[in-house]
Amino acid sequence: MAAQALPVLQKLFEDYQKTTPQKLKIIDAYMTYILFTGIFQFVYCVLVGTFPFNSFLSGFISTVTSFVLASCLRMQVNPENRTEFKQVSPERAFADFIFANLVLHLVVTNFLG
Amino acid sequence: MKWLIVLLVILQNTLADRVLVLGETAAIKDTHSVYLNSITARGHELTIRAADDANLALFKHGELIFEHLIVLAPGVQVFGGSLSSSEISKFVDAGGNVLVAAGSNIGDAIRELAVENGFEFDAPGTAVIDHHNYDTSLDSGDHTTLVINKNQLINAQLIVGDASKLKPVLFRGIGLVAGRQNRLALSIIKGTTTSYSFDPKAQRVTNPVIAGTRTLLVGGLQARNNARIVFTGSADLFSNAFFGAKVNSANPSVQDKNAQSGNAALADAITKWVLKENGVIRVKKVNHHLVGETQPPPQEYTITDDVVYTIEIEELKNGKWVPFQGKDVQLEFVRIDPFVRTVLQNKNGVLTANFKLPDVYGVFKFLVDYRRVGYTHLYDVQQMSVRPLWHTQYERFIRSAYPYYASSFSMMIGLVLFSIVYLYHKEDRTTGVATKKSEDKKKQ
Repeated sequence: MAAQALPVLQKLFEDYQKTTPQKLKIIDAYMTYILFTGIFQFVYCVLVGTFPFNSFLSGFISTVTSFVLASCLRMQVNPENRTEFKQVSPERAFADFIFANLVLHLVVTNFLG
Repeated sequence: MKWLIVLLVILQNTLADRVLVLGETAAIKDTHSVYLNSITARGHELTIRAADDANLALFKHGELIFEHLIVLAPGVQVFGGSLSSSEISKFVDAGGNVLVAAGSNIGDAIRELAVENGFEFDAPGTAVIDHHNYDTSLDSGDHTTLVINKNQLINAQLIVGDASKLKPVLFRGIGLVAGRQNRLALSIIKGTTTSYSFDPKAQRVTNPVIAGTRTLLVGGLQARNNARIVFTGSADLFSNAFFGAKVNSANPSVQDKNAQSGNAALADAITKWVLKENGVIRVKKVNHHLVGETQPPPQEYTITDDVVYTIEIEELKNGKWVPFQGKDVQLEFVRIDPFVRTVLQNKNGVLTANFKLPDVYGVFKFLVDYRRVGYTHLYDVQQMSVRPLWHTQYERFIRSAYPYYASSFSMMIGLVLFSIVYLYHKEDRTTGVATKKSEDKKKQ
């Protein structure tokens, strides 16, 4: 089983390296970072307890939403999806992304403490 | 105007309590003179009448004209004047105190009055009989002149006086039981296990209605308005004859032979209790405040505040209000249920409790509800609101939340860094070509 999965994964990784545009790779790196921050917070909450629950919520929701927004950006700037987002240029997509993040972080700081 | 009120209050206090004493005839003045004189000597104003006097009344224009009523008329069938058992109940409702002494020749009026108050006397003609605890010299042979011992008394010094010093007490009269529903009843003196109530002239005793320790020789109650009522089956208990008698109990375990009877002491103690000379307490002053302050807060307390509660209680002793010395008064901090219940520390009549308010907000009461046998019911409520913390009163930065703060801010910094990298990144040629190739593949 593992022996069969290994070449598949290898192939996947190679294809990713070869065919994915650099910009998307940057977004992927950013999303990975967000993912690990979120996991870290969740584990911390499980270990320490939910006492400042608002802080936990705002910290955790901040990572979740950042992840969602980044994935939205990735979808919109992916050249393979160009047919789906004809009227959304990559620049417009990035501007939307920044605006949404602005709203998110205002709310997060407000709710944090 | 103010001075007039003060003057009236002083006048009221100096006025002696008025006691109406009812005897079967005016002969009671002679047969019970020692007892009646002792009441007068304590500053009460006695009015002695026959129980069927046509001018008897307890109220005049709706106001009480007597504070206390003593009935030493066992045989009365119908009270005179406006007096009746319902009138006496009204008198009790208005705060009047009643002492009733009956006898074997008990009449309907007394029986009815007892029933109104949750007690029942045995049938006329019966008497409490005890073949083990009668008086050898005074008894006429039917064993109805009983000798009461200390262990038959209620454990309440305020009602029966110091029981340890009390000499044996003589009793001759009818038995009494408290009603099953009477939750306020006090068994001031109960019968011995060998006592029973029956017609002493009967040849054979079959199923006595009242027997054993259920028999009450003296029963009493304190109504919910603190009015006191005492019933006893023996008017002789208060008589000169028994006050001066020497007691010789048939029971060999009673040590005192030919001793002076304790009737005078017991009658005195019970009468003092009924006439509210004993066991009366009142609240003088109540205060509560935060630790380090002297006045209650103008609006409310905050949860978990440290609070001091002080109540000053006074007791009536020998006609004077003196600091109450009880050590078992409790304070409750109540919101439907008590959240705090603590014993108040008594320092010469000033009772204090120091406690932390619960971590619960709402409308609370400082409640002192002191019920002890012999004392009047003390009840004091102070209502106060307890509010939660203001949002500014919470801790600003919480240690355990630091990781959340850190990750939230790292999200913001991450966004900035990402934006810079993303915007200034230049697409590599080769990858671009590769993408194109893959797109071309799709089209094919």
